[in-house]
Amino acid sequence: MTELRRWVRALSKHVALIVVAVLMIYPLLWMVASSLRPNDEIFTSPGLLIDTFDFRHYPDGWNALARPFSTYLLNSAIVVAGSVVGNLISCSLAAYAFARLQFSAKRIAFVIMLIAIMLPVHVLIIPQYVLYAQIGWINTFLPLIVPKFLATDAFFIFLMVQFIRGIPVELDEAARIDGAGHARIYLQIMLPLMIPALATTAIFTFIWTWNDFFSQLIFVTKPDLYTVPVALRSLIDAQSQSDFGALFAMSVISLVPVFLVFLFGQRLLLRGIATTGGK
Amino acid sequence: MTALGELRALSAPRGMQSAREKAARGRDNKAAAIFLAPWLIGLIGITLGPMLMSLYLAFTNYNLLQNPQFTGLENIQRMLGDERLGASLLVTAIYVLVSVPLQLAVALALAILLDRGVRGLPLYRSVFYLPSLLGASVAIAVLWRLVFGGQGLLNALLSLFGIQGPAWIAEPQTALGTLIVLHVWTFGSPMVIFLAGLRQIPRELYEAASTDGAGRWRQFRSITLPMLSPIIFFNLVLGLIGSFQTFTQAFIISNGTGGPADSTLFYSLYLYQEGFSSLRMGYASALAWLLLIIIAAFTAVNFWAAKYWVFYND
Amino acid sequence: MVHRMQRRMLRGAALVVAAALVLAGCGIGAGPTDVGLTDKPVTLTMSWWGADARTQKTLEAIKLFEADHPNIKVEPQYADWNGYWDRLATTTAAGDMPDVMQFDEVYLTSYANRGTLLDLQKVSSVLDTSALSPDTLDSGRVGGTLDAVPIGAAPNGVIINKTLFDQYGVALPDTATWTWEQFTQAAVQLQTASGGKVNGVSLFGNDAFPLNIWARQHGDQLYGSDGKVAISPETVASYFQRELDWIKAGASGSASEWAEGNGNTLDQADIVTGRVGMMFIPAGSLTSYQSAAPKFTYVIANWPTDPDTKPGFQYLKPSMYWAASARSEHPAEAGLLINFLTNDIRVAKLFGVDRGVPANPKFRDALSAGLDANTKMAFDFTAAMATESGPAPAPTPNGASDVQTMIGRYNQQALFGQLSPEDAGKAFVEELQRSIDAAS
Repeated sequence: MTELRRWVRALSKHVALIVVAVLMIYPLLWMVASSLRPNDEIFTSPGLLIDTFDFRHYPDGWNALARPFSTYLLNSAIVVAGSVVGNLISCSLAAYAFARLQFSAKRIAFVIMLIAIMLPVHVLIIPQYVLYAQIGWINTFLPLIVPKFLATDAFFIFLMVQFIRGIPVELDEAARIDGAGHARIYLQIMLPLMIPALATTAIFTFIWTWNDFFSQLIFVTKPDLYTVPVALRSLIDAQSQSDFGALFAMSVISLVPVFLVFLFGQRLLLRGIATTGGK
Repeated sequence: MTALGELRALSAPRGMQSAREKAARGRDNKAAAIFLAPWLIGLIGITLGPMLMSLYLAFTNYNLLQNPQFTGLENIQRMLGDERLGASLLVTAIYVLVSVPLQLAVALALAILLDRGVRGLPLYRSVFYLPSLLGASVAIAVLWRLVFGGQGLLNALLSLFGIQGPAWIAEPQTALGTLIVLHVWTFGSPMVIFLAGLRQIPRELYEAASTDGAGRWRQFRSITLPMLSPIIFFNLVLGLIGSFQTFTQAFIISNGTGGPADSTLFYSLYLYQEGFSSLRMGYASALAWLLLIIIAAFTAVNFWAAKYWVFYND
Repeated sequence: MVHRMQRRMLRGAALVVAAALVLAGCGIGAGPTDVGLTDKPVTLTMSWWGADARTQKTLEAIKLFEADHPNIKVEPQYADWNGYWDRLATTTAAGDMPDVMQFDEVYLTSYANRGTLLDLQKVSSVLDTSALSPDTLDSGRVGGTLDAVPIGAAPNGVIINKTLFDQYGVALPDTATWTWEQFTQAAVQLQTASGGKVNGVSLFGNDAFPLNIWARQHGDQLYGSDGKVAISPETVASYFQRELDWIKAGASGSASEWAEGNGNTLDQADIVTGRVGMMFIPAGSLTSYQSAAPKFTYVIANWPTDPDTKPGFQYLKPSMYWAASARSEHPAEAGLLINFLTNDIRVAKLFGVDRGVPANPKFRDALSAGLDANTKMAFDFTAAMATESGPAPAPTPNGASDVQTMIGRYNQQALFGQLSPEDAGKAFVEELQRSIDAAS
């Protein structure tokens, strides 16, 4: 009896999860289906069944612009790699200071940090462009990467602060009694214990940077340096005919790295408990 | 010292700080300068300049193509009589107040469900995160129309039950709702953060509670919620800041118009239209700073309220 | 320590802002110093919006140009429509405008009035515009200067899905002489015969072009030569009322059906997916619609009229322009590139009708031999309308660059019953005028 009840319960849980999963995965399947349809069927078919397979979109989209699509994938990869490394280093440093150090003007600094992410990008982009143009950074990846090394994504500082606060302060104190300075506490205690937060930061930075359109559009105008989102938008135009099949095909391709990173990054989220011994 | 404590201390008169507190505060100045060096350089070199410039532009008439002209409080006067500003505030307020709690509740529920050792966990987690991976792309905009259009999938589904649905995405009454659905649908991001937070909760606590005979609900109330509260707080604060600034989704779904009939005219979208389509960047900057004040006020209230429910280890 | 740092921080920020303002301020006024060609290596930047097909063709044209002028290198920049204008506004604000740009009518005056565009008369030694008709060329003049050279120009027409009319056995009236009543009737018949599967006619939409034609049919016009709004609120109201009448008569789908398609790209339009029989389009786009919907046969026709319709309501609206930056360091070379794009027959063959029906008659002649039936129809229609056209309308004034979103917004409010057509028309005219006043 209890066996049956447990079984029913597990089943209903899985049914619920599967229903949600279908809602989640449907768009991806539809995107794949659309990338294999003739152009004029895309906008009339919300379903997944394909009447005529059309593999043309993949080679077409790959070669649609001045360079093969691999160029844009590589450009995005460079920007993303730089951003991830930058955010991990700079945000964890700042987060340690905010969470564990006592210093003057800490409250003001914390408030300024949060306020800095409250202005919409659209009123900041022009002064930023002027600034970067002045130091010759336009048409390089520097405006997209360097700010990450300077902890401008306060989002992640705040995230890490919250995580560090979840780490018992006795651990630091024990280390300090052993003669460890802040550098050692940060490197040897905080970083290993923060792996879930670091993995979250890495995954989010990856995905947001990979999908970010506006700043990449504005700061990089040379087509050879276009990133994936900018290249994708260059495939469509509102007033003339666009190659939506190619857009969908290249969208699918550009999702592959993101999905792989997420699958891999997940393991890191799990490794978080492994190294802390499931504390 | 909690973030809240900091803010409380901030509002307290200076003289009320004890000498010990002052000494403690300055204790790590040198170390802090080193740890915060990248952030400080970024603040001075990159963040502050453009911010101050936009603040200046808020008091100018600036069409992007000519020098900004200082106009004093003209932009603020214009705001007072701006009907579209009111409309966009209302749209944004509804969106924030509905979609943020809804998304967090869904994310938390599924995170807890997944954290409790479900078979096939990595698969579910990846699949649930998919919508957030897709972002607000053109492809999603096309699909959203096909799903929520008058002859879309949803209505096809409803017609099986004899219900004839409206063109959800095109009716002023329902268009905002479809965008809220779109937002909730990307619950993967807060869910991942919740999952990471759940990992931090020591398992022994649950074991001890279990032996004490505490049921699932008791365990949730007395262990999960308090231990997770810093992360819930984080997701709430960032969810608010992000939702107030919602732009891309609204932009791609309405193709930048905020239609039908301004029913999805988000604040940031209106600001963008003013700044870039109408070339009134001075007014757009003023709008941006009003948004900053609103978000900051909401955030401050949040920090204030946090002292009643957020639990820190330090 | 940290206090000192804070003080230094503020000082640094102040410096950056000051520098930024100075730089932003020099977006205009510098002007070209030298309009002669040079033999030294020159790099020009050239930007346009469009999808991949246009990009490929334009890149090929650039190669031809570079082969002709070995010392000139052209760096392309391309983006989608929205991205293009966001980027152009930003780079212009920073004094970093591309040398040669593709331009659109709605933004032309906004940019030209602020002195950001090169007066192309200054480079007339290298840029020959004599092939273009004076009327056409005038559409690129803003206040006495030649700010842009039109690429293509076409009238507005009714695109008709012949396949659907045949399929449902609905006879089209004689489109050469059709009246508004006959037009509406045909739309209703199609909608009825298809059992509601197909709508008769798409509502006018956001575009300012059909609104202006409508105004001209009623002896009115959108803007006056004084750069103010000229259209009467009543004319706008009648425009919205006509749409409401169509919905009521069963000639068009519901307001929400229309709003659903609002902002769709050309490929997603109801006329392409076969959900509507007729639509008002710029005739130059006919070829694009046709190639997006290979399974349908389209024809194009002039607007219907009433007995009291004013003649000469049609006009050829430039589809796009070429313009150059007033701050270009190489104005002569920029002029040379525009000359190449405007006059070189190889460009005509390369571009075809991608940027609309070419404004240069020599381009049209060069293309006429190999035209497909559909493009020929667009050419013939354009030629026929050119003879019927009235005077060119006043250009979109400075400050009215967002007229399309404004039309769309008030149109929707009228269609969804939030405002009466009269109130919507009045509010539209007032807001548009306010926007223009604020910019000047």
